[in-house]
Amino acid sequence: MAFPKPQATLRSATGIPTGRLAVWWLLASEVVIFGGVLGSYLMHRLGHPEWADAAIHTNTWIGATNTFVLLTSSFTAVLAHQAAERGDGKTAAKFLLFTIGGAFTFLGIKSYEWWYEISHGYTITSNGFWAFYYTAAGLHALHVIAGAIIMGIVAFDAWRNLELQRVELIGIYWHFVDVVWIFLFPLLYIAK
Amino acid sequence: MSDHQEHHDDGHHVNYFKIYIILLVLLVISVVGPIVADVIREVTGVAWVATLLTLVTAFGIAVYKAKLVIENFMHLKWEKRIMKWMLTTSLLLMALMFAGISPDVMNHEGNNWRNVAAEAAVARGIDSGEEEVVEEDTAPAVEVAFDVESMFNIVCATCHGSEGLGDGPAGAALDPRPASFADPEFWETRDRDRIVQVITNGAASVGGSPLMVAWSASFDEGQIQEFADYVQTFRPN
Ligand code: HEC
Repeated sequence: MAFPKPQATLRSATGIPTGRLAVWWLLASEVVIFGGVLGSYLMHRLGHPEWADAAIHTNTWIGATNTFVLLTSSFTAVLAHQAAERGDGKTAAKFLLFTIGGAFTFLGIKSYEWWYEISHGYTITSNGFWAFYYTAAGLHALHVIAGAIIMGIVAFDAWRNLELQRVELIGIYWHFVDVVWIFLFPLLYIAK
Repeated sequence: MSDHQEHHDDGHHVNYFKIYIILLVLLVISVVGPIVADVIREVTGVAWVATLLTLVTAFGIAVYKAKLVIENFMHLKWEKRIMKWMLTTSLLLMALMFAGISPDVMNHEGNNWRNVAAEAAVARGIDSGEEEVVEEDTAPAVEVAFDVESMFNIVCATCHGSEGLGDGPAGAALDPRPASFADPEFWETRDRDRIVQVITNGAASVGGSPLMVAWSASFDEGQIQEFADYVQTFRPN
């Protein structure tokens, strides 16, 4: 490190390491972002019985597979954290790479799913249901992409036993992305 | 708060693998539950049991899965209390938003207002069902017995006024305001084709205001002709 670290990353005035405090802070705002989208979806869905006819076209098996992928990637993310706590950066980096693999698998499946739906005429402008479907899942997918990129950076450092505290931080973010999907799955796929 | 000390080493003795397996089992249940619910509905015809089962297996389990992840993977269980308060505050804000907005969104009419677009969307969706998406531009019509006068009063009068004077409750606030159909000057520059054109494709299609939208998605050609006839009844002779 050519220059000293910002003091804030080493301090924990609140009793919580500042980096972790910042991640929680970010997530508190994410709760409002996703809560806003999902809350609006829910109230419109309740006011529009006819959306059920659109919802039957989403593929529950694809949704379930992607839920499995994200749950698994959350599991490897927490194992990466466990390894980082032991000071074992190499193992942490390996588990992070697994997690990134999960992110790509998720995005691959999602791309196939969207390609299929769009080519069958279900687009973001088809009706209210599809508008929410693409908006909510799209916003979520952007978070998956962002997570994968950050995990790559964290894993790169962790491999050389640097900045191991970040493994936990990206993990917390990743679990949040998982939790959002846990709610998207029943909202968009199961409730027909 | 003494239980918070030393909370964040790896000493929380969570069996991550066990949590992971529980999550997967819950996932399977949440997929199977609604399928079983469908069978129950088919066989017994008791709809509420099936609905309850779907709600519990889909949403109840989602909440529980989220709880497991948040507590054990995100370690919120061992986090300082202030973090829990912060996140709770966010959730409360969302609840507040939902409580404030949802009555207006979920109902399509109330005191002195009516959400015509939503009503039309419901009517359209329900009678065209699946085809709606596929034949998007074949003008799925509002099939409820069409009576031009009452339809004008429901849909158009909010802006145009029931006498066509351009003085509907919403019309007064528009810029430009809709012209009065009872004004001879208005008719000097309009013919029947133009009226039909505007109702079908919106005033923007003739260089007018986009506030007068196209109605071809809500009404079929015959109905639009009837509107044109009706608008002409306001014309002073
Ligand atoms: C949201 C308000 C609104 C509603 C609802 C509305 N209109 Fe209009 N309409 C306007 C406005 C504003 C104009 C004036 C456009 C301009 O001058 O550019 C207009 C103009 C018109 C005109 C005159 C077009 C011309 O030649 O200048 C006709 C005819 C008309 N509307 C018919 C209808 C009918 C029929 C309905 C119901 C199916 C309807 N409108 C519903 C706002 C509305």
